[in-house]
Amino acid sequence: MTALTLFTPVRRRYVWFLEIGFFCARHLPLIQKHILQFNFIKFVRWTVVQLPGEKLNYRYMLFESNFDGPWQHYIDAFAYVIPRDIRTTWGRGIGFPGPPPSEPLKAWIAHNSMEGGTYYCAHPEASTRMIKSALVVRERIAPLVRAAPQMQPAEFAAAYRRFLTDVQAHV
Amino acid sequence: MKLRRNTVRGAYALTVFTPIVPGHEDALRAYIEELPMGADSPLARLRGLHLSRIQIFDELVDQGHGHRVDTLRFRQLLFTSTFDGELDAYLDDICALLGAEADGWWGHCVGYPGTADRDAFKAYIRAHQVDTNLFSSAFPQATVAEMLEGLALREQLAAFAADAQGLDAATLQSRFLARFGGVR
Repeated sequence: MTALTLFTPVRRRYVWFLEIGFFCARHLPLIQKHILQFNFIKFVRWTVVQLPGEKLNYRYMLFESNFDGPWQHYIDAFAYVIPRDIRTTWGRGIGFPGPPPSEPLKAWIAHNSMEGGTYYCAHPEASTRMIKSALVVRERIAPLVRAAPQMQPAEFAAAYRRFLTDVQAHV
Repeated sequence: MKLRRNTVRGAYALTVFTPIVPGHEDALRAYIEELPMGADSPLARLRGLHLSRIQIFDELVDQGHGHRVDTLRFRQLLFTSTFDGELDAYLDDICALLGAEADGWWGHCVGYPGTADRDAFKAYIRAHQVDTNLFSSAFPQATVAEMLEGLALREQLAAFAADAQGLDAATLQSRFLARFGGVR
């Protein structure tokens, strides 16, 4: 698991555009699903920041995400599968290299990535896909556990086989 | 009153920027970077915590292309967390379970009151909180405990399925209940 934190300037005249876009994304399930179409992201957040007590020329966008492995492995997917989304979100800033291709985007991310500090994850060894599978197993085993004591052995064996078939893609 | 946009179902995204007392940057950096990682991290005491990152924000990056680079008056400490439940309970947990360490990093920040005064601590964090514009979770309905339980069950089931091949029905049932009977 690795975390990626970007803090990039946004021209003030585009802040309203981003805020409306994020508002719509928050309330439209299809967009939520679109955001999480990549099964290597656990959590992702965007925050438009105005730092109190600071007089700055720009507003800033904080982006934080978490990937199953180094972020460099996934940028090709972003650059070629959702280039328009990326350009819409970060293209309001300065010097953003609209993808594709992916190499300038990788260089831009590396340039803006905040490094250092400390990081904690409660499930660091588990990929997003593993966790989704684990939740399916957890949900589906419970009815069998509840029913098992009342079953005859042959009936249980059949139910167990059906259960295993049902969850085999998740184990 | 913080907006619901910090939440998705049961998960909460907390983002806090706090200005660092000038001259304290190196001591704060050393403190953060010496914190144990992984299961030994003090953050592991917070049971509903999925992820957290604590970073020092030194400068704003020159983007080229005529960018008028901003200069910060204060370097900032960025604290982000994704956790189960509500902010108030999470801040209570920080005070109860992580007070010394939290004071260790935020104690280098301007105006920080300490966790000993819980109300003042909560007010400070809320005052420096930045609302999230968009937060998405791949598992919006699952808690940390449910995920960890699921991961353990998944492993146990794989092992059980391998071991249970060829067992007669009665033995299979009794071993299954012995292994998984506690699942609710």
